[in-house]
Amino acid sequence: MQFQHTQLENGLTVIGEVTPTAQSAAFGFFVRTGSRDETSSVNGVSHFLEHMLFKGTEDLSSLEVNEAFDRLGAKFNAFTSEENTVYYAAVLPEYFLAAVELWCRLMRPALRTDDFDVEKKVILEEIAMYKDLPEFQVIDQARQLHFGSHPCANSVLGTEESIGNLTAEQMRDYFRRRYAPNNLVAACCGQFDFDQTCRLIERYCGSWQTMEAGRSLSYFEGTGQQCRQTKEGLNSEHICLMSPSVSMQNPRRYAASLLSLIIGDSTGSRFFWALVDPAIADTAVMQCEAMDGVGIFSSYFRCPARNRQKVLQIVQDIFRELAEKGVSEKELNAAKNKVLSAITIESERPMGRLVSLGFNWVYLKSYRSVSEDVQAVKSVTVDQINELIREYPLHKYTQVSIGPVDAS
Amino acid sequence: MLNAKSLQTHSERDKMESVEQMTLPGGLTVLVQPVSGVESASFSFLLPGGSAALPDGCCGAAAVLNDWLFRGAGPYDSRRLVEELDGIGLHRQSSVSPEYLSYGGSLESENLFRALELYADILLRPRLEEDLFEPSRQLALQELEALDDDPRQKVSVCLYERFYPDPLGRPCVGKEEDLRRLTPLQTRHLRERLFTWSGAVLAAAGKIDTHAFLKHIERLFGEVPPSRECPPVLRAAAGGYQHFPNPGAQVHIGFMTEVPPFDSPMYYSIMAACMVLGGGMSSRLFTEVREKRGLCYAVGTRYHSLRSCAGIAGYAGTAPDKAEETLSVILSEFRRLRNGISQDELLRAKTGLKSTLIMQNESTSARASRLAADWFYLKRVRPLEEIRQAIESLTIQSIQEFLDGPYGRKFTFVSFGPQPLQTLQKKE
Repeated sequence: MQFQHTQLENGLTVIGEVTPTAQSAAFGFFVRTGSRDETSSVNGVSHFLEHMLFKGTEDLSSLEVNEAFDRLGAKFNAFTSEENTVYYAAVLPEYFLAAVELWCRLMRPALRTDDFDVEKKVILEEIAMYKDLPEFQVIDQARQLHFGSHPCANSVLGTEESIGNLTAEQMRDYFRRRYAPNNLVAACCGQFDFDQTCRLIERYCGSWQTMEAGRSLSYFEGTGQQCRQTKEGLNSEHICLMSPSVSMQNPRRYAASLLSLIIGDSTGSRFFWALVDPAIADTAVMQCEAMDGVGIFSSYFRCPARNRQKVLQIVQDIFRELAEKGVSEKELNAAKNKVLSAITIESERPMGRLVSLGFNWVYLKSYRSVSEDVQAVKSVTVDQINELIREYPLHKYTQVSIGPVDAS
Repeated sequence: MLNAKSLQTHSERDKMESVEQMTLPGGLTVLVQPVSGVESASFSFLLPGGSAALPDGCCGAAAVLNDWLFRGAGPYDSRRLVEELDGIGLHRQSSVSPEYLSYGGSLESENLFRALELYADILLRPRLEEDLFEPSRQLALQELEALDDDPRQKVSVCLYERFYPDPLGRPCVGKEEDLRRLTPLQTRHLRERLFTWSGAVLAAAGKIDTHAFLKHIERLFGEVPPSRECPPVLRAAAGGYQHFPNPGAQVHIGFMTEVPPFDSPMYYSIMAACMVLGGGMSSRLFTEVREKRGLCYAVGTRYHSLRSCAGIAGYAGTAPDKAEETLSVILSEFRRLRNGISQDELLRAKTGLKSTLIMQNESTSARASRLAADWFYLKRVRPLEEIRQAIESLTIQSIQEFLDGPYGRKFTFVSFGPQPLQTLQKKE
């Protein structure tokens, strides 16, 4: 794997990790924008805009866009989070430049009002779909409650109301401010020619105007509030806990991620032995989400509604024990082995590598090779993890649960 | 000519990565494929039996057994076993299908042999201790309950139950009354039906020394006595339409029509037709239902096959007031496909199928799964070149021959939502 990077005069960064023996190549535009960059009046616009990019340009209709990608046999899609919008495609090497060219064109979309009106209906269906998924709902609402007045509380999808009221002109304005070249990273992985790719990107994107696209960054510990909601027809209790963690910029994010596996991996973790193995909950997982300047430990539990208090009590006991006694060498080693094999497996596919490569640049403006990541994971010590537990107290969590109406 | 170089590379790679095969006296076939340029290895066991092999009144025993198996095996108690599996960084999966149970995993290749030693204990010497049965049953019950909170997934379960001949469609997650009646003794006996070694396959792919691997497997599984699968007696499928009242925000619609199974000579035509109909973003369903009319966020079709029967299954989720229109557009697209596909659609489908094939090849886990599935359904492994050529030789005519068959003439439907779908109720 060989890393190369360059920056166009307008600030657009192109990064690439070339693996000549790979059987495919992957490309992505990483836009540093998401729901945390929205005001409440346009909440959901980042995600809606992501859909609109597939609707084409001044000289490409949406049907032509979909056909063009499928003609390349591309595995393509996009996703939006609180702070990133990512567009990607994985293709066979012979189609790589055509896929890059297509994405470059799409990054300057037409944003036609007619398309906007049809797509609004699709977005409203997407919001409705997630309403029927309590697992998603509870995490989304926990995020809102945890972050309170911090912009990371903004929902990615927006609400029926905010989407209903959104106008195409508001979206065009948001697009102009946020899709500036200096707010974008183009990332490539696998079997491709870096110089040729850069020339192509320069041709399509070189004339785009630089604009100030800032972001308000502040650390936030979380509100620590609690709430329970009921919903007709539900069978299980869905619980989400969130507590503060390290940001992406913090080098201790490797330790934080190992800690979350020790506590809440789907097998062999503290949650597993205390909750899943004895069948008190059928799901009990934790993950560490390191974000821009802020971070969370987020846990999700699904259990019979009658077990809700028991689950919460056991979780508090686990957190207390961790604060008092810390983690063991054995637990840390198992977590390291899980992460190391995951890194190995992921890095064998260009599409698997693309996301790590892109995010490292977006957040850290630096390249991290697979072996650097491996080294960083290997060098984490028990003391570092225990220090992290002291600094980011797990028991200071925000709690949301959604369950059936008649459960006590 | 653009493809010439990569084709040459493909065939060189194919030669280097040829599949070795060995069948043990007990009936287990071992397939191993070394992969160059990777550090990982993956394995996949497919053991014939599965949830359809269960007698009446035991629905869900496979799900319970699948959890119970991992609660101690050979020299290891429950905790030690999980610690051993986790300690080697194994990412594991296990699943229950109507016709087999499957166990697989991926990890760094230096730990592969150790992982298979542990799986020999789990599959051949599980402890199945009585006092650890209850938590396994409770977890199965909880997962069954939780399925009600996920109507989209429940649609599939209910759809297969109506579509496939009984007992092939019985829900692998189980039925509440059966799960509650199950005893440890009964479940222990059912193990012999749930997975058998005759016709079983273990496939592995990755950074593997073939010779050493085969010797290792022979040592671990060479003494397994033969055990025969008893195929279930099939009864007619229920078919038709069933509605389940559900107070959610959307109506969830599942639909399925019969097509030939995986071993059919028409297999590639079916895959291509399924892609044109509802496979990608330029598919007809996506274009007509979502892009032009904005009726759904999620709409699409997939091919689902068992050994003797298969279908094209689809899903759409939409607001209650748009459900009838959504259904009507979907059905008219199923009909319209019978008039044939265009040259451009054919080309897109071919390119899509080929690139999926090659990209799957980049993952050792996808390779191991494909080898195991080929063996299970076809009793042989298709060389990549054969698949490539089969895709290449698809024509509008060959796809039309498939479309002129039973495809799309009869449907099974299920829906979850506030009201049943009027159009379907009238038909009943």
